[in-house]
Amino acid sequence: MQEMMGTSALPIEILLVEDSPGDVLLTREALRDAKICLNLQVAADGEEAMALLRREGKYAAAPRPDLVLLDLNLPKKDGREVLQEIKADSNLAIIPVVILTTSASEVDILRSYQLHANCFVTKPVDLEQFLIVVKSIDNFWLTVVKLPIEPD
Amino acid sequence: MSSAEVDILLVEDNQDDAELALHALRREKLANNIFVARDGEEALEFIFCAGAFTHRSFEHPPKLILLDLKLPKVDGMEVLKRLKRDARTKTIPVVIMTSSKEERDLVKGYGLGANSYIQKPVDFDQFRETVKQVGLYWLVTNQPPVGNGVSQTSRKAT
Amino acid sequence: MIDAGKYGQLQDSVATLRVLLLEDNPMDSELTLQELRKGGFNVSADTATNAEEFTRRVQTNQYHIVLADYTLPQWTGMDALQLLRGQSLDTPLILVTGSLGEEKAVECLKQGATDFVLKDRISRLPLAVRRALEEKRLRQEHREAEADLARKVKELARSNAELEQLAYVASHDLQEPLRMVSSYTQLLAKRYQGQLDSDADKFIAYAVDGANRMQRLIQDLLAYSRVGKGQKDLVETSSEAALQHALTNLSQAITENNAVITHDPLPPVVINEVQLTQLFQNLVANAIKYHGPEVPRIHVFSSTKDKELTFFVQDNGIGISAQYFERIFVMFQRLHARDEFSGTGIGLAISKKIIERHGGRISVESEPGKGSTFSFSLPES
Repeated sequence: MQEMMGTSALPIEILLVEDSPGDVLLTREALRDAKICLNLQVAADGEEAMALLRREGKYAAAPRPDLVLLDLNLPKKDGREVLQEIKADSNLAIIPVVILTTSASEVDILRSYQLHANCFVTKPVDLEQFLIVVKSIDNFWLTVVKLPIEPD
Repeated sequence: MSSAEVDILLVEDNQDDAELALHALRREKLANNIFVARDGEEALEFIFCAGAFTHRSFEHPPKLILLDLKLPKVDGMEVLKRLKRDARTKTIPVVIMTSSKEERDLVKGYGLGANSYIQKPVDFDQFRETVKQVGLYWLVTNQPPVGNGVSQTSRKAT
Repeated sequence: MIDAGKYGQLQDSVATLRVLLLEDNPMDSELTLQELRKGGFNVSADTATNAEEFTRRVQTNQYHIVLADYTLPQWTGMDALQLLRGQSLDTPLILVTGSLGEEKAVECLKQGATDFVLKDRISRLPLAVRRALEEKRLRQEHREAEADLARKVKELARSNAELEQLAYVASHDLQEPLRMVSSYTQLLAKRYQGQLDSDADKFIAYAVDGANRMQRLIQDLLAYSRVGKGQKDLVETSSEAALQHALTNLSQAITENNAVITHDPLPPVVINEVQLTQLFQNLVANAIKYHGPEVPRIHVFSSTKDKELTFFVQDNGIGISAQYFERIFVMFQRLHARDEFSGTGIGLAISKKIIERHGGRISVESEPGKGSTFSFSLPES
């Protein structure tokens, strides 16, 4: 599932790993007026996410994500496993992973950092806050930060 | 200084850059306590509660480390490598803030586990703005880990 | 003579007294048994004269009591005691002996002999036996009561953990679908307000309001279920610092209501600091919120009495009628309509839970129109 937003120039590839279609739509809403041109791919579970990242099977031609937004609670393979696998794979480890999840538990936060998540953001319960947070993430990672973009 | 908790460790040898960064962070009231280390060695001693910093504890790490790469004594990459390798310190978010435009530094930094990598803008105002954005993101949007999850045996004996 | 005194009951419960005699003199044995029978016991006895026989007897039979001579050829009553205990038998052992210096006697008792009876005062024997049996029975009862208590405590802890887990899981899992309802109704309102007919606007408004309220309830429920989780060790805490912390957290409410808050010097207390701050925050927030026509004036003070430290939060607010004193501490119970005063009604329930976890009490004194004084006490440790 891809969608072009913004205008020409090389878009930043974002992989959103999220099983709730409601949250996917909300995230798209939030990114609608993104300043930087970006391309949002969505994987609905851990297995699909890894297949996409590794460009296996039907994902052979998928663009490589520059940034991953990862929910922790996913069906099949859960977000913690996905995080672990990404950071253990020498080809994928440098891709920044932002944990974006409902959990605010200290245990989850700590564990994610131990597994080398780049940062941890708890999904706000309030809609406006949610939109603001997604926009901050977008703003930070796409404009302030320098991403390790691999020339394809 | 007592073992007061330090919110941000700024590792920067350039006096002007350090001043600007401190100013930007303080203006946003993002941090109560910012410590500036002037070289890699001081940064490592601070992080590992050694040398002049034996009063510090692994249980109270800074919420964020802003790390320049070009540092005297021990360079930024080495500091990054050591702190991301040690279970007691690897969960501390580290943001590389460097003037280097080298692609390989970028890749190496992320590879060693830097949480994010920022190229310092040349323009003073932009630099201040960038530091502010970094501070806002890492201390407000982001949730830093509490403690380090390593067992009591790592607690410094008093 | 049968002593039917307070040990009389024992005779009924011990139908036949099974005795093991450690005695090499048959005449002494006979005298001992006679004395027991005179004392009202129905006796069935075995005799051992040395270590081997004794060992064999205790390994094959069960005895209510052992009566041992202090000195035997090549063995002693105290050796027999060692053997008994070595076999993990807690059978009472009474030394029946010719002579025993006082020092020796005390020594034997210290080493575990239940009692000693001198052969020339053999008439004491039945009483000594009764007492030994009674003590054993009481010990047994005590052990059983302790085991029962331990079982109950374990069951209670398990049950509590389950309830907390339930509250946590329920509120945690409820958040997700609720977030969807809440977010999308808000999005609907944002995007379509004024574009559908006015009824639709009202419908959406009620839906959004309902979802928001439910969200707050669930968050409060989660907060309540989390009280006590991950508690750090109890440390001596400055209650003044905790109060200051709470007031800082409430600075907006304080400014908005022009509240005046004063306090007496407050002593340090052994408690989890975060929870003490939470307590002060809850009580002061209520004191500010439920103010009357006057500017809220709140005073915090403490007193120590009978090893109990009590903190008081006194206000000049609208007060509470006595019939509601208990209800206000129940989760989500409120005394006012939503549009009169905001909040879900969880603050006092959380405060009560915190206090009770520390072994203390919380209560209120109040009169409508005359303000309230909430107090919580902690046992001094």
